[in-house]
Amino acid sequence: MDKAPSGVNRRKFLTAAAVSGAAVAATPPGPTGEAAALGVATPALPPTAAQMEAEIGQPTKIAVTMAEPGGRPGSDFMVDVLRALDIEYVATNPASSCRGLHESINNYAMNKKPELLTATHEEIATAMAHGYAKVANRPMGLLFHGTVGIQHATMAFYNAWCDRAPMLIMSGNHLDAAHRPPGVPTTHAAQDPLAIVRDFTKWDDQPASLQATAESLFRAHKITMTPPYGPVAVSLDAHLQEGVAGKDLKIPRLSRTSAPTGDLDSVKEIARLMASAQNPVIVVDRGARSHRFQPLLVELAELLGAPVVDQLGRQNFPSRHPLNGTDRARGTIGAADVILGLELADFWGIVNSYSDIAEPKQGRRLKDSVKLLSINSREVFMKANYQDFQRYQDVDLAIPADAEATLPSLIEAVKSALTPEGRAAAEKRAKTFAEAGVKQRERFMSVDALYGWDASPISTARLSAEMWAAIKEHDWALVSRDVRLSNWPHRMWNFDKPYHYIGDSGGAGQGYGLGAAVGAALAHREHKRLVVNIQGDGDMMYGPGGIWTAAHHNIPLLTIMHNNRAYHQEVMHVQRVGNWRDRGVGRAAIGTTIEKPFINFAMMAKSMGVEGIGPIGDPKELGPALKRAVQVAKAGEPVLVDVLTQPR
Amino acid sequence: MKKTSLVLGFSLLLASAAPGVAADAARGQEIYMKTGCYQCHGTVGQGANTGPKLAPEPLPLESLIAFVRNAAATAMPAYSAKMVSDAEMADIHAYLGSIKPPPQRKDVPLLNNP
Ligand code: HEC
Repeated sequence: MDKAPSGVNRRKFLTAAAVSGAAVAATPPGPTGEAAALGVATPALPPTAAQMEAEIGQPTKIAVTMAEPGGRPGSDFMVDVLRALDIEYVATNPASSCRGLHESINNYAMNKKPELLTATHEEIATAMAHGYAKVANRPMGLLFHGTVGIQHATMAFYNAWCDRAPMLIMSGNHLDAAHRPPGVPTTHAAQDPLAIVRDFTKWDDQPASLQATAESLFRAHKITMTPPYGPVAVSLDAHLQEGVAGKDLKIPRLSRTSAPTGDLDSVKEIARLMASAQNPVIVVDRGARSHRFQPLLVELAELLGAPVVDQLGRQNFPSRHPLNGTDRARGTIGAADVILGLELADFWGIVNSYSDIAEPKQGRRLKDSVKLLSINSREVFMKANYQDFQRYQDVDLAIPADAEATLPSLIEAVKSALTPEGRAAAEKRAKTFAEAGVKQRERFMSVDALYGWDASPISTARLSAEMWAAIKEHDWALVSRDVRLSNWPHRMWNFDKPYHYIGDSGGAGQGYGLGAAVGAALAHREHKRLVVNIQGDGDMMYGPGGIWTAAHHNIPLLTIMHNNRAYHQEVMHVQRVGNWRDRGVGRAAIGTTIEKPFINFAMMAKSMGVEGIGPIGDPKELGPALKRAVQVAKAGEPVLVDVLTQPR
Repeated sequence: MKKTSLVLGFSLLLASAAPGVAADAARGQEIYMKTGCYQCHGTVGQGANTGPKLAPEPLPLESLIAFVRNAAATAMPAYSAKMVSDAEMADIHAYLGSIKPPPQRKDVPLLNNP
């Protein structure tokens, strides 16, 4: 849609403003009418020359692309598409290349479905979408500046890619050089703006018309929600957002799409091998896509009397189930004659060992006779560059399919394959395994947890026990990984509900923790759950603005700082190399510790309108502090407790 | 290279382990922190998923030294005598030995929480 020079355009616009009441009455039913009633300005005024000058830093005379008077803005149509896709939230950091859609969400959608969430950094917004998706099992929308906004967000996309989290990334772009404003908007434009994330998104597009935009968003939605889940990105042309929607635009229907499922012959073969094994073992990582997975895995494990080693990529298996062998992974896997891997990120690491010593030692740790079976949707869809697919592991039978969708037929096949003797053997195996588990738990609680019980900084076992006492009477959910707490929560707490836990970042990129927790807490909010985030101090400093977003959007969340005042993993790495080289560890703290000055996270929380408690270094003060914090979170607000902890 | 450092370590050991200087728990704590044992084993040797429990009731001094010197084959990085002398190891040992036994589970209600 070509535009006359700006003078004409502006005159036209003024006429339009005078008749805007009538124009609004003529627009399709929806919030626009409400907007008019509330006296909220309908179609945005084009920026004045002065505003434009302030925005782009240079005097300008350009053709402003805008909706015709009374015409329906292109970005209102985009809102209708997002609504048809049932996108509930769009997290954003505001940007001029998205201003059309942003304004439509504000004034056409009236900020309801989708509702905008303000993030202080694109990486935080993306982490929010990541955490949200793992609780809600649906994608959040993201709305970013093309180029710089997308550049900010890339690491967080990579985490989501590795962790198979669905999300609908949208970015703005001024595609047409003859139309776009010069200066900054042109600096921020690109001919292929999503090239930078193509290696770690499932699909991306730069549609060139509104109809193509609708189809592209529907295709993106379908791809992100088809296992293996993963982020998808669509670049929305600013000209299309700000221009007029034609009359004949069509919004596609939502297609129902099934997950890739294992073929029956292969499923039966796996069932036969598992049912006839002496010591079948199941190893699972990102198994649970939805709440259906955990009961299915319990049924399979119980049928087979097979211990389950949980890599804790999701809430896969109840932590206190008698067949849970996660804390005895080494021995359990070592005893197996058949191993079934479900959605494993790294099968090689299960089968082989690698010692991180000066001259690394590696090799198969399992006997050659151990049969390896795999069901993994990642094999349906891989990319070449980034190595998150891990080392190549040969197996006896691999089914490239979604484990959750394949389990029902596998369970039926196992039922048919099990002989009466097989069932009896399974029962006996399960009993022996359970007895050893009881002993181990007894040891954790009666011996291991007690070492360092009164220490300051506070031991991770003590912290975990105090947290458990504070939350266990509530309907709780943990939205962070606890491996950096030496897994004490998984040893002590009763993780048995499908929503109790969501795994970790996937790509181990720092800056995931708080954002993901805020997004997950948002998805838990309607269920009024007590949401707990155990937050590393190093990770926190990548995106502390997440605290403000939680406050701004009234998202209840209990954040407990695991404040060991260091990038602890890296302290150990530098120390290790210093030892190899016989140069000592005296300077391992340089560049790895977070001290001089210490960061006061409670004050940081307060500065963003969130109650901050601590720092707490005396274990005796922890119980009362957590009690108070739980009260705040249960009252519907975010709260942070800064706890000075042991390294791990 | 390895050989030189061992020889060097030995001479340092002779210099610092002057006869009559008793192992000292306070000094041992300082060395334990400075040489980074706490990073993997915790400040009171309580253990973590990065290194097993060392205290209370540490290994005998000879075993402690032997382990630390030869740890390279394990998941723990080894410390030559150049990095921690035998005398310093004796101080660490004294520190680990001075750590009081933990409470009993029955006296800790939090650990009797189902
Ligand atoms: C980078 C982490 C790390 C550091 C630093 C470290 N350790 Fe260890 N340590 C380990 C690990 C891991 C093991 C278990 C090794 C194995 O058995 O494979 C271990 C084992 C030990 C053991 C054997 C314990 C037992 O009961 O079997 C002793 C003793 C020990 N460490 C002492 C020390 C001392 C003293 C220091 C400091 C001078 C130290 N460690 C520093 C990680 C570490």
